[in-house]
Amino acid sequence: MTDKRKHFDEDLDLRLSSKLSADLNALFQPPVGVPPEVDRAVMDRADKHFARFQSGKGRHLRVHWAWRIAAAAAVIIFAFSLDLTKKTGPATDSFSIGETQAVDIDRNGRVDILDAFKLAKQIESAGPAETEWDINGDGLIDRSDVDVVALAAVRLDKGVL
Amino acid sequence: MSKITPIILAGICLIVPVLAQQSEQEYSTGRPGVRFAPLHIYIDSGNSSLAAYQFEMKAAAGQIKIVGVEGCQHKAFKEAPYYDPAALAKDRIIIAAFSTAGNLPKGRTRIATIHLQIIGDAEPQYELKLIVAADADAKEIPAEITFEKGE
Repeated sequence: MTDKRKHFDEDLDLRLSSKLSADLNALFQPPVGVPPEVDRAVMDRADKHFARFQSGKGRHLRVHWAWRIAAAAAVIIFAFSLDLTKKTGPATDSFSIGETQAVDIDRNGRVDILDAFKLAKQIESAGPAETEWDINGDGLIDRSDVDVVALAAVRLDKGVL
Repeated sequence: MSKITPIILAGICLIVPVLAQQSEQEYSTGRPGVRFAPLHIYIDSGNSSLAAYQFEMKAAAGQIKIVGVEGCQHKAFKEAPYYDPAALAKDRIIIAAFSTAGNLPKGRTRIATIHLQIIGDAEPQYELKLIVAADADAKEIPAEITFEKGE
């Protein structure tokens, strides 16, 4: 068996044919080469781009934004210190002269509980009603109008004391 | 360093007021000497029947907050009287009520109770003013207003 193999190895031709070699070269060669000019252009643009952040102008822009944030915070704090967010109560708004006349049922120039009391007595007695007693403007003269008059009488902004 | 400084300043400016507000709230709620007490209001209408009244109460001294108002035991004024809701959490209030019922109180009658939050150890002083009192005919009557401190 050793003799047979020896004999076989001696006849083996290990050289490639020229055609096979050319085909392999064509197969594994890069299809398109990048020209060195393109490489340089790409590198130049990258350098310019990153150099901007290291320049004085770039630093200035970042600092400028930081100061803007600080200024915005200062404005917010100033607004809070002035208490601009505090809402005024609905019942403490000033009462207009027209509204005061409307709820002054007995026309004595003073709005008090007696105006509401007199209106309530009129409603309960089913006596003649005047259209101006429809204080809330709902087309009815009833207890809700009495409540409007009474609440007008106890408003804090009357300043009685 | 110069870049970080404004950011740190902004952070401090935002955080410090929030912390200060929180500590202030904790101080006001956790402070000793805050108590609640009722103030009973009486009107003496003498021999006349009392059908309507209006008065004003305010703190002349001490620190109080009005936390609630209720009517009295008499049937005519059992419901809560009229008052400005804006008076709650303040130290001044105007209270009024009327009754069209037939059975009306006479003499000294407790007409309302004001519930107060008293802040601090100082005993508050109250100022009462009767604005108007009237009988069943809506006619003004002489009357006297007084108060009693409850526990």
